[in-house]
Amino acid sequence: MAARSTYDEAQVIELLRHQDTARAAFGQVIEHYSSTLYWHIRRMVYNHDDANDVLQNTFIKAWTSINNFRGDAKLSTWLYKIAVNESITFINKQKSLNHLSIDDEDSFLVNQLESDEFFDGDAAQLKLQRAIATLPDKQRTVFNLRYYDEMKYEEMSEVLGTSVGALKASYHHALKKIESFFQEND
Amino acid sequence: MKQEESKILKDLGKDPGFKVPENYFEDFNKRMLDSLPEVEIKEEKSVVKKPKTLWVSWRPVFYAAATVAGVFAMITVFNSVNGSTGSQIQKLANDIDKDKNADELIMSGDANEYDVLNYQDSVNMNLEKASDMPSK
Repeated sequence: MAARSTYDEAQVIELLRHQDTARAAFGQVIEHYSSTLYWHIRRMVYNHDDANDVLQNTFIKAWTSINNFRGDAKLSTWLYKIAVNESITFINKQKSLNHLSIDDEDSFLVNQLESDEFFDGDAAQLKLQRAIATLPDKQRTVFNLRYYDEMKYEEMSEVLGTSVGALKASYHHALKKIESFFQEND
Repeated sequence: MKQEESKILKDLGKDPGFKVPENYFEDFNKRMLDSLPEVEIKEEKSVVKKPKTLWVSWRPVFYAAATVAGVFAMITVFNSVNGSTGSQIQKLANDIDKDKNADELIMSGDANEYDVLNYQDSVNMNLEKASDMPSK
């Protein structure tokens, strides 16, 4: 927490622009965002080891394309965008390995949760994850960003490249689907 | 946000029940930093602003003035060409009025056949108009 209190985004962005300071500055970025991004990825892929791999890929991709970040958007928005893409890429690969269509539900990912040593949720929490897994990937991303990460629609719009109105509608539909899931599986 | 949430979600709370290994983030941060590949940072070259010279300051005004002058010159040339044609015909009319032979004018280079025909047409037209008018 001490490191977070000294994190100055504007200064870090400036340091990222110079060869001799960029690496150390990116170390600050990792320290500041690893937890936030990990939890978003974890809620998408469910398994800890998979989340760990996707988080690594996210930071590697951000670092190797750091020259593309010019500070026009917030660093968090840019990192979230990479994390969202990496998560969906991972899920699609898993679907392919499991001979599933990209449009199929992600319920197969939740099935591993019960035996996951890093999941200690109760039946209700598992049921909620099952309900969320019935949502299409993009809608699930919208739901997780809004409900768990409490991201503002305006920032979400930049992350996902979708209008605020469409995101609000998507979140509303996600809530209805989750309610329906609970009613049908009562 | 609170108004959007359903009762089910309110009852369940926001803890999904996920856990991470002990000291996971501390270890991850260190491992991650150590495993970053070498990347060449493209540093933006700082542009040193040169002080503006008088020429640089007034250059847009000069270009605008030159454009206006150019247009004005083109109009003047165009008018003078049209004007000289008009004055040639006038001179021809005067000479013919002075009973100069048209052939002489053509031979002397003061007029060509086209000018003479034009003039004759206009004279013929005026004569026709005059004959159409009722006599008093």
